[in-house]
Amino acid sequence: MLMPRKVRHRKQQRGRLNGMAKGGTSVNFGDFGIQALEPGWLTARQIEAARIAMTRHVKRGGKVWIRVFPDKPVTEKPAETRMGSGKGNPEHWVAVVRPGRMLFELAGVDRELAQAAMNRAIQKLPIKARFVVRPGTHGEPEVSV
Amino acid sequence: MPEITLEAEVGRPLGSRPTRRLRTDGKIPGVIYGHGTDPVAVAVVARDLRIALSGESGSNTLLSLQAGDKTFLTLAREMQRHPVKGTVIHVDFQIVRRDEIIAAEVPITLIGEALEVHHGEGLVDQQLFNLPVRAKPADIPTVIEVDVTDLTIGASLRIADITLPSGVSTELEDDVAIVIGQAPRVVTLEEDEGAAEGEAEGEGAEGEAAAGEAGAEGSGAAEGGGGEG
Repeated sequence: MLMPRKVRHRKQQRGRLNGMAKGGTSVNFGDFGIQALEPGWLTARQIEAARIAMTRHVKRGGKVWIRVFPDKPVTEKPAETRMGSGKGNPEHWVAVVRPGRMLFELAGVDRELAQAAMNRAIQKLPIKARFVVRPGTHGEPEVSV
Repeated sequence: MPEITLEAEVGRPLGSRPTRRLRTDGKIPGVIYGHGTDPVAVAVVARDLRIALSGESGSNTLLSLQAGDKTFLTLAREMQRHPVKGTVIHVDFQIVRRDEIIAAEVPITLIGEALEVHHGEGLVDQQLFNLPVRAKPADIPTVIEVDVTDLTIGASLRIADITLPSGVSTELEDDVAIVIGQAPRVVTLEEDEGAAEGEAEGEGAEGEAAAGEAGAEGSGAAEGGGGEG
């Protein structure tokens, strides 16, 4: 699973999820992509599950890019613990995702296979997402206004 | 290259709220600049702009912009898009002259079938999707076609391998790769299964470690071990 090698601070505050993605909103590496339509946290497990679902469906060929990285630690207090005594222990890592963010990209397969594989990957994610195609390829117009 | 005439409305109200109302009315705010002129805030009808830029030349189409009593020869540059809808929310029009050399990005299209790569179950990996070129507005090619028929696994097609039309040059180095014939991904499924097994083992180890060591450091280290294992 993806996680940072080392961090400066072990625990973080939760932050806010208002607004749209500021960057990383277009297909930059492959021909197809999965774009987030809702804000949310993607755990490292969910990202890995989506990647495995996609690569297993494609079987052979194809190249996958993961465009998000879970660099935010999430803490949890142990079960049946009284409140207080400070913040809980870091338990897992999440990627903060806002609407518009490209989550995965895929290249080297035809459109139908890519769409089927990416729909399977979308099922593994906790947010609404959609399949997108690079403009100017696979029948998509270069400029859409 | 034929130019397309487009009506632009000058004197649009500035500010976020009037601009939002403008977009609701089916118009796109924009700005005209270049050649030392003062920037002019304009608005164009979204449908007209879409039709103008949907031709063969795409976003490199020469636009004759009629703004008030003036006509500017422009190119649409720097189209800002909505992150989710993908619609254009602002467009820059750069004033150009027919006799000056300007910078533009031309889409690269792969043609032909890389049979040798496909037979070897490899992947035709396109590295460069747009080529930055310098040319006179009329000489900007609509598309640059790269033939991948002779591509083999491990080989690549570079800038030096393509022939640009006369009057067109690029600032990219000759050794920049456009497309690479990548070797097949043979061990991925095994890797996946290995990773899944590793995770399962890692979870077990994590549980034991957490039981043994009460503390954030212990669970963090176990999680790290699980991830690598």
